[in-house]
Parts: sequence; structure tokens; C-alpha cells
Amino acid sequence: MLLVLWMIVSGAQIIPEYLLPHPVRVLNTGWTYIASKAAHLPYAGRFFDDVSASIVRVFMGFGCAVLCGLPLGVLSGRIAMVNSLLSTFINGLRAVPGISWLPLAMVWFGIGIKTTVFLVGLAAFFPIYLNSVAGAQQVNLRLLQAGAMMGVRRLRGNFSILLPGAMPQIIPGLRLGLGISWAYLVLGELTGVPNGLGAVIMDARMLGRVDMIVVGILLIAMIGRLSDVILVVSLRTCFKSARRMA
Amino acid sequence: MTRRAAGERFESKLSTHPSLLQAVEVSMDFHVNGSALRVLDEVTFSAAPGEMVCIIGRSGCGKTTLLNILAGFLRPSGGQVLLGHEPIRGPGPDRCVVFQEDSLFPWLTVRENIAFGLKGRGKTHHQIRHEVDRYLALVGLEEFSEYLPREISGGMKQRVALARVLILHPQVLLMDEPFASLDYHSRREMQALLVSLWRNMHQTVVFVTHDMDEAIVLADRVIVMDMHPGRVRAEVDVPLERPREPEETEYVFFRRRLYDLLKN
Repeated sequence: MLLVLWMIVSGAQIIPEYLLPHPVRVLNTGWTYIASKAAHLPYAGRFFDDVSASIVRVFMGFGCAVLCGLPLGVLSGRIAMVNSLLSTFINGLRAVPGISWLPLAMVWFGIGIKTTVFLVGLAAFFPIYLNSVAGAQQVNLRLLQAGAMMGVRRLRGNFSILLPGAMPQIIPGLRLGLGISWAYLVLGELTGVPNGLGAVIMDARMLGRVDMIVVGILLIAMIGRLSDVILVVSLRTCFKSARRMA
Repeated sequence: MTRRAAGERFESKLSTHPSLLQAVEVSMDFHVNGSALRVLDEVTFSAAPGEMVCIIGRSGCGKTTLLNILAGFLRPSGGQVLLGHEPIRGPGPDRCVVFQEDSLFPWLTVRENIAFGLKGRGKTHHQIRHEVDRYLALVGLEEFSEYLPREISGGMKQRVALARVLILHPQVLLMDEPFASLDYHSRREMQALLVSLWRNMHQTVVFVTHDMDEAIVLADRVIVMDMHPGRVRAEVDVPLERPREPEETEYVFFRRRLYDLLKN
């Protein structure tokens, strides 16, 4: 539907070519970018390099966010003192737009992968943390009591009752976090890293290759959606609670 | 040492039979807006091994609070709870609870819910499976072992809740109005099931209810609670043959007696 509209608009030159290229041209550029042998055209064959670099960055940033956000969130949800210590601080930081971290991150980590991973991780942290807090808070007290009276110790209780009980909230947190990771990837790759999908988009802007920008946007959308599906499927495979309570 | 002494002191105060679970002058105050509200006032009672004790009282008399204290979920403001002369410290598998409703783990099947408490006790997979099968049969749920809690009826859920604690062989089974949300026939069925399990397993049971008929059908002894503050108003022995039918003269007599005790 949208595609048809796009074809009509571009075909009739309602919007000039340099603002919105024709779909066929975008398709061609995309094909060259993905499938051609390297180097005989600009961007040709760079796709796998870029995409693997970007995936690694998203994966590392998202991983850091999960490793910090999930335990901190569950702790805050269960222990009021931790929550009151962290919540003002974290909710304050949350209000700061990601882009204002960019200068600081560049001072701290220099230009390159560390800055990108930092920005991605920071952005993904908040939805994961907040949903874990909400999830841990709404776990039915009865379930925790039932575990305690059946002799379940603290540590096992956390993994066999608290986490599964909070799972219905944790899953959307992870999905939001992963989505935001892809969004912040482009910001993170503005900083002058040589490869990556975000870098390609910025590079294409410099060279006025709007078709390439559109290709980059579409690819990020597709990969983002794909990674969301993979996340949900793997959670469902690994956790009974993800499978049976969603 | 002082704890033991306290236990002995109170045992001499109590009735003749040896007791397994004792509440000794248990008081509970809740603090609301700076003022203390006394919910339980020096409640003392005991349950002998193998005895079925019903605690009956009107809504708001603190009977659920009392059960939470017996289970160890709440710490009393005063007094203590002794299990075989040892004061209890927090919840544990020696005093298992069947809650009012919806306390099963919704992400586990019936079988997994029943097996939950057996995990981490050094039993093999095979042993656990065997035990769970036995208890599934005891509560008549063999065909529903792979269902999830949300897929079975309220009565079946309470069967699972019963099986998952009986399998742990608790010294005392605590029940907090477990059949209150069931329809009349399911409730009668569950009461009959409980009586038969209790007889076969010689299980000590403390059963909280507000339903006079339930108390008379089940109990060896009924403890009637007063309200504002909650305290023991009377203890009534019910020495009737089981099963007990509402048409019998003695049954009607006991019902009348409880009714009078609960009134005002």
C-alpha cells in the first residue's frame, strides 16, 4: 500500500528525485550494496561488513544493559530501600536525551566501538530496568510465601519464583530495550567509526546519496524486526514462564 | 533454654493431651496512622498430633492473621508459637499452608506444581516422578497432570494446592479458608477428600473458616474466636462419628451452639 503510493509519487515526480528516490532505484542500490562484489561501485558489497559490525555493537550494548538493568530492576522492585536510592537518580538520568551523552562519551571512550556500545547500552538500560522494577513489584506475594513455606531458599526463590513471576513485564522491557538499541546504534555510529549501518547512512548523507540512506533505513528496520522475533522466540524456548504466561 | 522453659510453663497451663503446635499468648498489633490496632489479644490454643482443629470466627476477627503467624509469615507483637516445644522462626516446610485461592505457580503444570517443593532435596528425577504420581492419584488428578492452573477449575486448583504440600509431609497442615470460593458441591467434595486424607495420613490440621457447617463437618475441636480484639471465646469438642450429616440431631445441636457463640 505504502509502496504503491511511493511508486506513484516518485514516478509522477511529485517529489523530486533528490528528495525521495524511486523504489526501483532504491532496490538497485540495495542489491548492489548487499550482493555485488566489492569495490567496483561505491558501497558495493559492504553490507556484510557493516551489518556484522552493527550487530556486534548492538549485541554488546544490549547485553550490558540486560546485565545491569535486570538485576538492578528486580532488586529495586523487591527492596524498597534500593528503590528509593536508585529511582530518583535513574529517573533523572532517563530524562536526559541520548544525544547529549555523545560528547561526554567521546571524551570518555574516544572515537570507536566503545562509545557506540556505551550509548546503545545506556539507552537500552532504562526500559529494561523500569519494566523489571514493575515486574518484580507485581509478583503475587502469595507465590513468594508459598515458596518460603515449601522450604525454597532465597537464591533459588529468585530464579524459580521471582523471575518467572515477573516475566510478563520483563519481556516487553527487553523488547523495547532491543528496539532502542537499534535506534541508538545510528547515533552511536555518527562518531566516525568506519563501518556499520549507521556509519553508511551518515556517509551517504555527506555524498548526497539519498537512495543509499533509504536503503540503510529499510535494512535497519528489517534487521530490527528480525532481532525482535529472534529475541521473543529464544525467550519462549528457554523459559516456561515466557511460553506459558504471555 | 529460656524458650524451652517458656514452652513447659505454658504446657502445664493447657489441656491434658500432648500438643504438637501451640500458640502461647499470641498478640498482634497493627499500626495505622500512628495508633495501634490490636488484632489479636493473647490467643492461646494448641493442636495435638493428628488432631483436626478448626478456628472459626466472623470476618475481621483476625483468624487469617493468626494463621499467618502460625505459618511464620508474620512475627507476632507478643507471645510465641511453638512447634514440638521449639519456637518457630519464619516459614518452613514443617508447617505448610493451603491458601484461600490462586497460590499455584501459573507457569508450571499441575505435575510441576506438585513437584515444586521436592526439588533441591537430593531426590532423583525418577523418585520425584514416582511420588508425584502417587499424590496425583490421591487427589484424583491423574488425567490433568499436564494442564496449567488457568486451565482447571477452582476445586481442582485446591486439590493441587493440597497435594503439593502433603507431598512434603509437614508436621502441621495449615488451611486458610481453602474451600471458601468453591460452589457448594465442590466444597462438600473437598471436605470429604480432606477428611479421608487426614485419616489415612494422620496429619495434624489447623483449619481456619467462617463457615459453621464446615467446622462441624471437619473438626475434632472448634476454637471460636471473638472479635475486636480477636481472642479465644470458647473451645468446643465435637466428638461425632464421621461422616457427619447435617440432618443428625447432634449435628443440629452443635450447629446451634456455634451459632450462639458466634452471635454478637
